[in-house]
Amino acid sequence: MKVKIGLEVHQQLATERKMYCNCPTNYQDVPPNTNVCPICTGMPGSKPLPPNERAVNAAIEIALMIGCKIITDQTVYIQRKHYDYPDLPSGYQRTSLPIAKDGKLYGVRIREVHLEEDPGQYDPTAGTVDYNRSGVPLVEIVTEPDMKSPEEARKFLRTLTHLLEYTGKVRPEAGGAMRTDVNISLEGGGRVEVKNVNSVKGAYRALKYEIIRQRERLRRGGVVVRETRAYLESQMVTVPMRAKETEEDYRYIPDPDIFPLVLDRARVETVEAKMVEAPHLREARLIKKYRIPKASANVIVSERELADLYEAVAREVDPKLAATWFRTKLKKVLNYMKLRAADIKFTPTQLASLLSMVKRKRVTPEQGELVLREMVKELADPEKLLLKLGLIPLKKSELRAAVAGAIKENPNAVKDYRAGRKEALNFLAGKVMKLTRGRADPREVSKLLRLKLKK
Amino acid sequence: MDRGTLEKLAAIRRGELSAVENVQMALEQIEKQNRKINAFIELNSRALVEAEAIDRRLKRKEQAGKLAGLTIGVKSSINVEGLRATCASRTLENYISTYDAEVIKRVRAEGGIIIGMNNMDEFACGSSGETSAFGPTDNPAAPGRIPGGSSSGGAAAIAAGLCDLCLGADTGGSIRNPASHCGVVGVKPTYGLVPRQGLIDLGMSLDQIGPLAHDVRGAALLLETIAGKSSNECVMLDVEKVSYLEELNGGGLKGVRIGVSPKFAELTEPKIMGVIDGAVEKLRDLGAEIVEVELPNLERGLPAYYLIVSVEFFSATRKFDGRKYGKRIEEVCGEEVLRRILRGQYISRKEYRGKYYQRALQVRTLIRQELMAALQKADVIVGPTVPKLPHKLGTKLTPMKMYAYDYLTIPTNLAGICGGVIKAGEVNGIPVGLQVQGKVLGELEVLRVMRALEAAA
Repeated sequence: MKVKIGLEVHQQLATERKMYCNCPTNYQDVPPNTNVCPICTGMPGSKPLPPNERAVNAAIEIALMIGCKIITDQTVYIQRKHYDYPDLPSGYQRTSLPIAKDGKLYGVRIREVHLEEDPGQYDPTAGTVDYNRSGVPLVEIVTEPDMKSPEEARKFLRTLTHLLEYTGKVRPEAGGAMRTDVNISLEGGGRVEVKNVNSVKGAYRALKYEIIRQRERLRRGGVVVRETRAYLESQMVTVPMRAKETEEDYRYIPDPDIFPLVLDRARVETVEAKMVEAPHLREARLIKKYRIPKASANVIVSERELADLYEAVAREVDPKLAATWFRTKLKKVLNYMKLRAADIKFTPTQLASLLSMVKRKRVTPEQGELVLREMVKELADPEKLLLKLGLIPLKKSELRAAVAGAIKENPNAVKDYRAGRKEALNFLAGKVMKLTRGRADPREVSKLLRLKLKK
Repeated sequence: MDRGTLEKLAAIRRGELSAVENVQMALEQIEKQNRKINAFIELNSRALVEAEAIDRRLKRKEQAGKLAGLTIGVKSSINVEGLRATCASRTLENYISTYDAEVIKRVRAEGGIIIGMNNMDEFACGSSGETSAFGPTDNPAAPGRIPGGSSSGGAAAIAAGLCDLCLGADTGGSIRNPASHCGVVGVKPTYGLVPRQGLIDLGMSLDQIGPLAHDVRGAALLLETIAGKSSNECVMLDVEKVSYLEELNGGGLKGVRIGVSPKFAELTEPKIMGVIDGAVEKLRDLGAEIVEVELPNLERGLPAYYLIVSVEFFSATRKFDGRKYGKRIEEVCGEEVLRRILRGQYISRKEYRGKYYQRALQVRTLIRQELMAALQKADVIVGPTVPKLPHKLGTKLTPMKMYAYDYLTIPTNLAGICGGVIKAGEVNGIPVGLQVQGKVLGELEVLRVMRALEAAA
């Protein structure tokens, strides 16, 4: 059965000020109803300030990143979308007509991009509203119904989320900053919209549920009506929204209190010039420029700061070695310590000098990784950290002595090895590492042991 | 009022009259007359304290502002911090403003003293001053008749001498209509000249705050004070400070082209037209050149206006949902307010957009083009303000009859141009105002013509 899925993704823009007033946007960090003024609480007589320029530019940048054409040199009206809900101070939400159209991201066509404002936060249990969030700028991205399965939708949402975060123009996904309306239709059924899904996982589950629900209904000869449903996160099901809400007519009118936007070419070009490179484009460039494998490039562009660091390091040391290290070691250390690339304190030069020590075989890759772990924790030169960790390079004679010692002290293991039990070699290597207090290169140890035991 | 606004201002500046005395005079008059006229529905209990501060400044020869010591009444749809901005509706009967409208900030900065809040038609929906939830306002110039609306309290307060100046607001004639019926001066500025931040909406694309005064120079003074761009607002014209007073010396009108249209006589009662024709003759005597202009679609403005205003008003009133200000507007408002909300709700429905709202916007464009073309041929257009004389308070009129009061004032708002009103004469003792419409930002021309007529009287 053919499935068509389209998405409307809303993401808060990371501006310091709200869309139509000068209140700060850090609504989660302050007590309720403190980031408010007559404008964002819709006090009688209040009028919006001109739209926040930074929010408009951020939306332009995001639209460009997903390959949209910006609607330039035309009037783009800001409309009032009327509906009645406690979190909406004026009884309408301001939403722009499309500022951009016709994009594409990973095979999914983007229909259009809008600018919106967030409403406040209503707590139905307490019966209270917090207007701190009211007026925070949002970008809305509407796709064509190009996804054919919940898995595809999930993949698209992950890619999009990553891309949006990469721009640095949106708030991190936490705390309901991203909300998705999911549209899904099965062949022979009406289009169902599921509103207010707050995570990628939620979107996936809501879609899974809807496919089962709609398929069952169609299978039994029932009809899937065109309707709007709500996703209940706690129960992982969707339920019909009140009939009144689904039949709602928003009675859009251009907001008479705001001049329509006119985005001129020059402005778009300015944004374009300063825009960060999209991760998929950057990945392709890194592969070509540094001749590194796709797998490494993919990891490197996963965070903008990581990619920036890579390119700085690649100027100083072998880019291929650096790429391998970024993919295998650095990413591992960051994941282990639950850090993001943005949290890294060491300089590209410090990392480059560590990598060149590895390259020159001054330290082993394992030792290098130990140093890297320290570098993430404390800001210091790799040389000093080597000393601190006691990782003074081992002399050949010391290694030979340790190997001889291990053979001498473990005759049983030697016997086993010579009898063909290869794993005994690992036991002996471990003894050597212990004797050298981890300073030996395991590859050298194995090599030397094998050589000695042959005799 | 024996002396002009500027003379009183000078007397205060010279110390012959203190600001405190001026406020006391106003309060006495209000005490004496307001019970009958019902022009004020809330008084500023801090007015005397504010006046004392002005007097101290004047005594120390400090800058006290161009309105220093004058008493200002404010339409109840304009926010004044600490006072109730009720819009004369039960919907907002307990709403105390938390902030000053931009115009109030400007008035205060120039030493004007807010004396109180004026009565008005509920949410400015009315042309008679009768739809207030606080009771109708009487016309001091023609007792027992309506004062006009919706800035009814402001015009009546000026006519009865209760205060020096008033701030009204005009969406389709709400300053000019009561100015005409009460025989006072009123100006509806060019759309976008005066900040609307803090003005509670009727029709956002039409609303404009303006002055009501005893004389032209009083109106000019208040208009200068409140006009000019504000960074706190989006839809404004790019105009820095303006000044009119220096140019208003009451000289002749040589070289001024004054447009008149045969359309006015078609829409207006003959007795009123007689007074207007007399005023036009006077203007000709003062040296103006009278030219005829075509306004063939003028009367089409009325239905278009009521569609536009209803849609915008419907949108603007969605915030009065009962959650924040205590009462849901539809449950407590009067029938004209409800009629406009329901009309707006109906015609803004998706399926009717093309049929009503869009068509109304097209008519608006047509009217604008027509008036702009006429104002190419003439510097100002003069004519009657209201086509009928004010009815007796309490007379029941159908909505269409009530709306018909607005035929001649609405086009100014639809076109976004400016217009002023000055008393031209009387019919059976009832004042009749001459409307002077000017170009976009043509306030000075309008005031000059009005001042010439005033000086010649």
